Amino acid sequence: MNFEHETLVAFSKSWGLFYLIGMAIVVVVYTFWPGNKKKFDHAKRAVLRKEDRP
Amino acid sequence: MAGSLTGEERRTCLLILGVLALCALGIAVPGRWDPIGVHGLMVVLLCAGAAGYLLLRLNVPEPSPEELSGYYDAPIKVGVGLTMAWAIFGMFVGVWVAAQLAWPDLTFHQAWSSFGRLRPAHTTGVIFGFGGNALITTSYHVVQRTSRAPLADRVSPWFVLFGFNLFCLLAVTGYAMGLTQSKEYAEPEWYADIWLVIVWVTYFVLFLRTLARRKEPHIYVANWYYLAFIVVVAILHIVNNLAVPITLASAKSYTVWPGVQDAMVQWWYGHNAVAFFLTAGFLAMMYYYLPKRADRPIFSYRLSILSFWGITFFYMWAGSHHLHYTALPHWVQTLGMSFSVMLLVPSWASAGNALMTMRGAWHKLRDDATLRFMVVAAVFYGLSTFEGSFMAIRAVNSLSHYTDWTVGHVHAGALGWVALITFGSLYTLVPSVWKRQSMYSNALVELHFWLALSGTLIYIFAMWNSGVIQGLMWRTYTENNALAYSFVDSLVAMYPYYIARTVGGFLFLLGAIVGSINIWLTVRRSPASQAAPGVYDRPHDLDPTPNAAE
Amino acid sequence: MPEFFHRKIERTAIGFVVAIIAAASVGGIVEIAPLFTIDETVENVADMRLYTPLELAGRNVYIQEGCYACHSQMIRTLADEVDRYGPFSLAVESQYDHPMLWGSKRTGPDLARIGGKYSDVWHAAHLNNPRDVVPQSNMPAYSWLARTPLEVDNLGHHLAAQRAVGVPYTDEMIANAARDALGQATPDSDAAFSILDRYGEETQVSAFDGVATSVTQLDALIAYLQVLGQMTDAAYLDTAASELPPDAEDRDVTQAEEERN
Repeated sequence: MNFEHETLVAFSKSWGLFYLIGMAIVVVVYTFWPGNKKKFDHAKRAVLRKEDRP
Repeated sequence: MAGSLTGEERRTCLLILGVLALCALGIAVPGRWDPIGVHGLMVVLLCAGAAGYLLLRLNVPEPSPEELSGYYDAPIKVGVGLTMAWAIFGMFVGVWVAAQLAWPDLTFHQAWSSFGRLRPAHTTGVIFGFGGNALITTSYHVVQRTSRAPLADRVSPWFVLFGFNLFCLLAVTGYAMGLTQSKEYAEPEWYADIWLVIVWVTYFVLFLRTLARRKEPHIYVANWYYLAFIVVVAILHIVNNLAVPITLASAKSYTVWPGVQDAMVQWWYGHNAVAFFLTAGFLAMMYYYLPKRADRPIFSYRLSILSFWGITFFYMWAGSHHLHYTALPHWVQTLGMSFSVMLLVPSWASAGNALMTMRGAWHKLRDDATLRFMVVAAVFYGLSTFEGSFMAIRAVNSLSHYTDWTVGHVHAGALGWVALITFGSLYTLVPSVWKRQSMYSNALVELHFWLALSGTLIYIFAMWNSGVIQGLMWRTYTENNALAYSFVDSLVAMYPYYIARTVGGFLFLLGAIVGSINIWLTVRRSPASQAAPGVYDRPHDLDPTPNAAE
Repeated sequence: MPEFFHRKIERTAIGFVVAIIAAASVGGIVEIAPLFTIDETVENVADMRLYTPLELAGRNVYIQEGCYACHSQMIRTLADEVDRYGPFSLAVESQYDHPMLWGSKRTGPDLARIGGKYSDVWHAAHLNNPRDVVPQSNMPAYSWLARTPLEVDNLGHHLAAQRAVGVPYTDEMIANAARDALGQATPDSDAAFSILDRYGEETQVSAFDGVATSVTQLDALIAYLQVLGQMTDAAYLDTAASELPPDAEDRDVTQAEEERN
């Protein structure tokens, strides 16, 4: 590995944070996307249905 | 067991056993002067035993077409038995080592029974033996039900289940012979680690193939947690266990990581084993069995998604809080501390989600001890994640680290969260899989609950006290700026708490024994379920409350 | 767009797996990657010793008996720890440790600088039955160590494996590993002199368990315990501990350390 230690540390300290923010935005958009509501409601109730056979 | 497999599948099993036995022989012969030879021989004998069992049953009738198209529950039934067997073994060793700290001569002057060798047998027995079997068993159950599809094939579930138990067996017998890598919660030596990788990849493929066959459009959130558990544990296991054996005929190996890197890799592994082994997988249980038992949907599905990604993302950063004030660079410690505190958000979101699911149905807890197991588990989950974030703060950690406080914290999670959610899930699963009306005795479930709860409370209060006293004694100065207490002074102060802890652990063990007996009686004695499908796993004495709130 | 992306991820569980790996692995990569270049920042210590074959074997006995479950080898940068155990541990001191044995629990005291604090005789008696010398101790008795001969024939393989993971053992050290192990525990033998050439004048040659005619696991373990904290003087060169007022509110001496740098 030919990276300078300082470069790696700087990269870790900054890009890790940007990654976190980007990731959070994608997850929140997905979770609250109006089109997904029906699917989630279905999944939420589906576990309670009978389950004797596939 | 054999009766649930077709003739061809039985022959496939024999082939796998043959190949495994040959590999084991390849280790046993060159390693005959080394403990690795004992393990090779052990595997050869186990394979021979399993092959003999199958050969004697080659003529047992094959399963009917109707059985073949249904859910495949036979491995689940065996998995429940293995889970409870490891629970009793692991907890018994736990009580024993706890007692050794108060009465050190309980080693009886044998090498295999000294604290340093028994302690990993306890941690492996409960984390991997009990916890791991519970995870594999319930994941087989949950993935089939939520996907409305049977397991993708009928041989690999057995391979995964028995292969994993073989790993646990190699681990525990290895410790008795003095084989250990000294990496906490990753003690087994290189050949056992390679074997676990093979088993784990099979598990991963089985799980993905089953999900791909699903009839539901969406993958239920419980399966997300199981999947994260399988995937991330594989990554952690491989990275932490990279090692060079001294020869291929020897069990001993040296890790490739030196000093500081090794410490960081080890605690990155150690902490994430807590996250993805002891949290993600058990949250999967909570998201399926709690709504099922309470007969109400989870409070907020969206919240469960947010907390899933929060936990998956944040946990990986938190490991370095195990190394505060050490030779690890300061910025890495600070990162670990910050993310540990942020972790509280998704953790409490999960615990809150579970508790809010019970809103309007709290009265069910009065009569249904199974449901109470799971709800109390969610409370302990909330408490121990709060405690964990708190202890990750550098100033707090300077007091708590190296003391019994950490041990108490771990057991608040392990007993209060992991074990209680497992027992609650098993009491829901067992009547369902064996098609019984309910558990054999509700009174025994009730007894188990109170034994487990009182054992946990005694244990963690004892350890909180001893840990804080220890930490304070170590840092107390006299007026003359000299240390006030010698190390032995602090040890002497611990004895009462070590005895109390042993009592708490013993009560918890007693509860697990009661639970095992109850499960055994349910399988043997309980009347078969007469009720309409889907209702059998609900206790009959409870009124079915309509879901008004939803 | 994100919605389309996520639908796709969900339909194929494989995509979902990739998402999990992407979310989970970044924390580990970001934190651990810079540690591989950390040796650029750690000053090279000229006097850093290697474990002799006997000490390495003793380290393996320490591992085999699970000593790390109750004893740490990591003195933190806290004033009370420095007062109790000695200068705080430096990264360079575990440079050649595969694996590290920092530990996580102190049921017994820290051992990072135990070397030289007690005599060989004390260690032998203590390991045989700790309550003979410390009546209140709850440490197990390791009486079988004195009766178990040390396996020395494969020590060359041990050293070779250590070299494969980065510890600079020479061919000569590997070839003479078994002889050196016997020599270190047998004072006044020929082998005892050649080990000083290979591992330095600081190497302690002793009968360790008091019996010079045989080499046991107890010899190896005591040899290892006696070098803990003695591998380099780096930690003693400038320690800040005594310069801090003992009643300082924050007993963290890291800051003092940073200022010095």
